Amino acid sequence: MRRLRGPWTWTALSLAVLIAGWVALTAAGPNGPIVQDLFLPGPGELWSGFLDLMTDGYKGRSMLDHIGFSLERVLVGFGTGAVVGTLLGLAMGYAPTIDALAGPFVEFLRPLPQLAYLVLLIVWFGIGEESKIILLFLAALPVSAVAARAGVRGVSLQRVQVARTLGASEWQIFRHVVFPSALDEIFIGARLAIGIVYGTLIAAEIIAGSTGLGWMILDAGRFLRSDYVFVGIFLIGLMGIALDRLLVAIEARVVHWAGR
Amino acid sequence: MTGLHQLDRRGFILAAGAGALALGRPARAAVPDVINIAFFVETKPTMIAKGNGWFQDEAKAKLNWTEVGSGAEINTAIAAGSVDIGIGIGSSPTAAGLSQGIPYKLIGMLDNIGPAEEMTVRKAANIKSPADFKGKKVATPFGSTSHFRLLGFLQTNHLTQADVTVLDMRPDAIVAAWSRGDIDAAYVWSPAKSKLLAAGGAVYETYKELDAAGYVIADLIVARTAFLQQYPAAVTGILSAYGRALDLWKTQPAEAAKIVGQQAGVSAQVAQSDMEEYDFVPLKTQLSDQWLGEPGKGGKFDEVLKRTADFLVEQKSIRSAPGPDVFVKGTDTSALARAAG
Amino acid sequence: MTGPSQRVLRAGAVLAALALWYVVSAVPLVSADFLPGPGAVLATLVDILEHGYRGTTLAQDTFATLGRCLAGFALAIVTGVPLGLLMGLSRRVEAASNYIVQFMRPLPPLSYLILLILWLGTGNSSKVALLYLTAFPIVTSAAMAGVRGVKRQRIEAALSLGAGRAQILRYVVLPSALPTIFTGLRIALAAAFSTVVAAELMAASNGLGWMVFSASQFLRNDVIVLGILVLGALGMLLNWALVALDLRVVHWRGLD
Repeated sequence: MRRLRGPWTWTALSLAVLIAGWVALTAAGPNGPIVQDLFLPGPGELWSGFLDLMTDGYKGRSMLDHIGFSLERVLVGFGTGAVVGTLLGLAMGYAPTIDALAGPFVEFLRPLPQLAYLVLLIVWFGIGEESKIILLFLAALPVSAVAARAGVRGVSLQRVQVARTLGASEWQIFRHVVFPSALDEIFIGARLAIGIVYGTLIAAEIIAGSTGLGWMILDAGRFLRSDYVFVGIFLIGLMGIALDRLLVAIEARVVHWAGR
Repeated sequence: MTGLHQLDRRGFILAAGAGALALGRPARAAVPDVINIAFFVETKPTMIAKGNGWFQDEAKAKLNWTEVGSGAEINTAIAAGSVDIGIGIGSSPTAAGLSQGIPYKLIGMLDNIGPAEEMTVRKAANIKSPADFKGKKVATPFGSTSHFRLLGFLQTNHLTQADVTVLDMRPDAIVAAWSRGDIDAAYVWSPAKSKLLAAGGAVYETYKELDAAGYVIADLIVARTAFLQQYPAAVTGILSAYGRALDLWKTQPAEAAKIVGQQAGVSAQVAQSDMEEYDFVPLKTQLSDQWLGEPGKGGKFDEVLKRTADFLVEQKSIRSAPGPDVFVKGTDTSALARAAG
Repeated sequence: MTGPSQRVLRAGAVLAALALWYVVSAVPLVSADFLPGPGAVLATLVDILEHGYRGTTLAQDTFATLGRCLAGFALAIVTGVPLGLLMGLSRRVEAASNYIVQFMRPLPPLSYLILLILWLGTGNSSKVALLYLTAFPIVTSAAMAGVRGVKRQRIEAALSLGAGRAQILRYVVLPSALPTIFTGLRIALAAAFSTVVAAELMAASNGLGWMVFSASQFLRNDVIVLGILVLGALGMLLNWALVALDLRVVHWRGLD
């Protein structure tokens, strides 16, 4: 613990400089602040904006509600997309036929900007939670699939052959050789996927917007309510970090279970 | 760094040049190098003046057109200093902008919206009275003048957002959701509105009652204050060009519709039917007390802006609304008066 | 399975999808308003190639989008790799800056686009800035991880052979870190590309994203579908290009 004290002081120092700069730029001077309120709200405005949102909520719903909506969408979209994607990727890694058949679509889906096909999703799936979650599902799927596939492909052929000669069944080989080996890549894919899902959250919440942290930020931005926008960005950033940490914790558990 | 010797020489040349410029050019008739204009691609007479190059002719300057999709973008653009003139910004974003101290002035009106933005209900939803809206889903693009009208409608009919589900959707998304029957009503403008009407929709008239209750909405023209002060002639030119386009629409609607259609990428018929719904207030009329008023005198529209701002504060869309004098001072019709002749 | 038969299967899958598309729109299972058939989209493509879309050619729009994407990406590399390397080498630098980088990572680009336009104006700078801020944390983290991942033994071995700091950096650290850095670059480019459409959502007058949004305002779904196809193809191309570059430059990848 003593060794960690060193680096933390640097973090604190850097943070202090940042905050000092922020306060200096936004403090009231004789002619108003250096940077106008509109462009960069000062700490006072942000704090009162934060309190305002916490007590009165935003446009008829409490902040907890909005955060809850967004969290649910991210978790369900990511969860389903990552699981289905991983399964697909494992299949693609194992079976060249599946790889050839599914490959083009996964590769095409991956870079496709979601905002571009939003309207088509509405036509096919409506404006309810389903279409939002489907959008996030489609965002998570390709990355998880590619990662799982790479994980399977990366398994040392030697180890598989050794296991075979030892008389292991295909399932045993998968469970005890392939899967643990691929886990690293699968989790790298999962962390990437949640990042992508998160980045797509606002696009998803544009579908019939009325709830969600992402929609709130966009809506507040419409009338340049910088204070709400900044509070929203902070919250969404913190939430994102928390989700990533959660995934790292899950990874530690699962890797342990898989017996590496 | 450069030696002092070189600095001296450069400094001298610069000073000489600046002096020559100052002596040679009378500041009064200053013409800008470039005018940055934010606009909407829409079926309005603006497109005639743009397409025929009239803006360019009258303003006598190079024009840089920035396409925007919402009034919020015009507010942001002018606040950022990227844009000098915004054409077609709605009255709600304008009220918000003036309240937030965005440095621009209202210099003219594009149109009084009236029935052009209206509530469309799905026939199958059987909505005949305000109470019928309870439990229904109504979509509108948030932050727009339609949104403002919808909220006004709810308020004047004592409906809350717990009774009626209001959804924030772009016009194209509204059309898509409409086809599935996912929404029961929408407050929006054409081309989306005409598509909804053609797909089992009916007009539910609200504009008369709302206009009477003070929820007047309009599309406006704003100019960055510093730009207006520096180049009043250019601003006058822009407004004159718009006036010419308006005249063409009044005198030769078919010809006007054709040009507008080409510019907006729609057929001439669509352009014509869209434009017929708007009340394009003539420049001279805009100067009347009814609207913007003579330079320095103010008009009824200042009150509309103030009411709009107050309403936005209630909705928590903006933090606070200033006193009515900010809106009076925020309107500058001197260029309009010159353009109207 | 050998290469050629794989390619045949892939081509077959794509053709099957196209056929499905044709059937769905010909029946029609979905109204032509919302899913124009391949024929309509092809006709639109020809039309746009001839007359452009609202004053810009498809090439201009493609290059505008590509340009923004690559500019943001290049800036991210130029600033992110050095910073990431420094962070990997110095605990102090990491402590002072990692919290900022990690906070930037999960931020959805659309959440701060309006702020960027407010600060940088409606021109290309705000759009490139958006892409830069999307790619930067990814590149930086990758560079840092790359340096961290260098095996201590290697450094110690080099030290015992009498190598100086600069030599260790050039001949041990960098080559070891390059595979991780390149992986990070691929992810960053993908992220930047998927953000470029969002960047063209506001105050844009050209680009493929602009084309799609402009078309959606006038309910021209044929142009939207065309835009989607071109965007998808472009994204795939960029990815392939970077993978090819990766394989050539980091030819020692996987040889541990």
